[in-house]
Amino acid sequence: MTVRLNHLIELLPRKDGERLLAICEPIDLPLSEVLYRSGEPTRRVYFPIDSIISLVTPIDGRPGLEVGMVGREGMVGVHLILGVKTTTLHAVVQGAGKAWSAASVPFRRELARSPTLQRCLNRYLHVLMTQFAVSAACLRFHLIGPRLARWLLMTQDRAHAESFDMTQEFLAYMLGVRRVGITAAAGALQRAGLIEYRRGKLVVLDRRGLAAAACGCYAADRKSYSELLH
Amino acid sequence: MASQIDHRENLLLAALPHSEWQRWMPQIEAVDLPLGLVLYESGGTLSHVYFPTTAIVSLLYVMENGASAEIAVVGNEGLVGISLFMGGETTPSRAVVQSAGKGLRIRAQVVKDEFNRAGEVLHLLLRYTQALITQMAQTAVCNRHHSLDQQLCRWLLLSLDRLQASELIMTQELIANMLGVRREGVTEAALKLQQHGLIRYSRGRITVLDRDGIEKRTCECYEVVKKEYERLLPVGVLPVRLPPVVPAA
Repeated sequence: MTVRLNHLIELLPRKDGERLLAICEPIDLPLSEVLYRSGEPTRRVYFPIDSIISLVTPIDGRPGLEVGMVGREGMVGVHLILGVKTTTLHAVVQGAGKAWSAASVPFRRELARSPTLQRCLNRYLHVLMTQFAVSAACLRFHLIGPRLARWLLMTQDRAHAESFDMTQEFLAYMLGVRRVGITAAAGALQRAGLIEYRRGKLVVLDRRGLAAAACGCYAADRKSYSELLH
Repeated sequence: MASQIDHRENLLLAALPHSEWQRWMPQIEAVDLPLGLVLYESGGTLSHVYFPTTAIVSLLYVMENGASAEIAVVGNEGLVGISLFMGGETTPSRAVVQSAGKGLRIRAQVVKDEFNRAGEVLHLLLRYTQALITQMAQTAVCNRHHSLDQQLCRWLLLSLDRLQASELIMTQELIANMLGVRREGVTEAALKLQQHGLIRYSRGRITVLDRDGIEKRTCECYEVVKKEYERLLPVGVLPVRLPPVVPAA
């Protein structure tokens, strides 16, 4: 079986991609692992292959809520590109899987050496920043139903699967709402025949319908990605 | 506009090493930034990078239906147009002057060239980018979690830090747009602050009477963002008083 790559690495010219991979090792990221914590120095960067990582802003001493999601299309640890070792965000594994990972020192060295890598990652940074901006408006204006639909689509894009394991507690935490809110919203999507959700297993039945039910933020994220990284 | 340019009024420019500033100086121009001026629309092309000195610029994310929410404010601690460094020719947000004043601007290409030179400027701009990203992430969460009261206090404090005064000229309409709420909500929240003796608000003029009181009322988001700016940038966002400009020979 060939190991699937991370899309950012795939976008690099072959030589740059090989040099980056030479300092990376494939690792398994178990569910709920914290890759870095707010305020602690980040020691590694990650290029997810089939894992999904949530970027979460802690708030009022609580775990907080998600402002960004990173999968095969992206990279975790972008602040290292900016020359900053710590961030206010937590990075938590939301979907177990593999990733390429490099230690921060060789990564920074490689980055300094390769303008191509810099350009590619800077563009991704822009995409991620746009995702934060979209989230700011989305969290303000949109109801839980369309937000849940957006979130499921984002997750599915990164999971490359029709179904995933997902507790209601976890969804409530990610979306910053109460569990009963998730129960109601997921129930509505289920009755509309868009998903099936039973005993923590979520199956997407009608992706197109789900896209119609999602807020415009899903399309906005996709657009910024396709404009900058293709 | 031929007036004296004191680049030290913008803290990023003030932090540039002398030699770098010498390269920039001939290219930079002073601009008036009147209230409500749109520096660029979301999706628009960036022709210039702006360095506010006395003005404050608000970055708003605008949705399809026209509703907007503020994602960050930029004053004399920063610059408007960071998308440029990341290879984005266009920007995801709208940039609007939220408090009238002055600023400096420079053509986008000059900043790009400087960025590619990979010197001191690059590192400074990257660190600023991280600070701004923190502000965006924090604002996103604040928009969901905190009361309008707390958000209004946060917004007032972030604005005050970027001004050299305790007074803001501001309509409720504009505040409502920034915070993404209805005008009535802002009226009510402002009234509450006034009743507690924290601000005086009349005819579009907000005077802060008790800054400590406002700091006590606001959510943690203000502190988080402020600390991050102080950590990442040479002087944080503390207002600085500058000695008079020595005219160029």
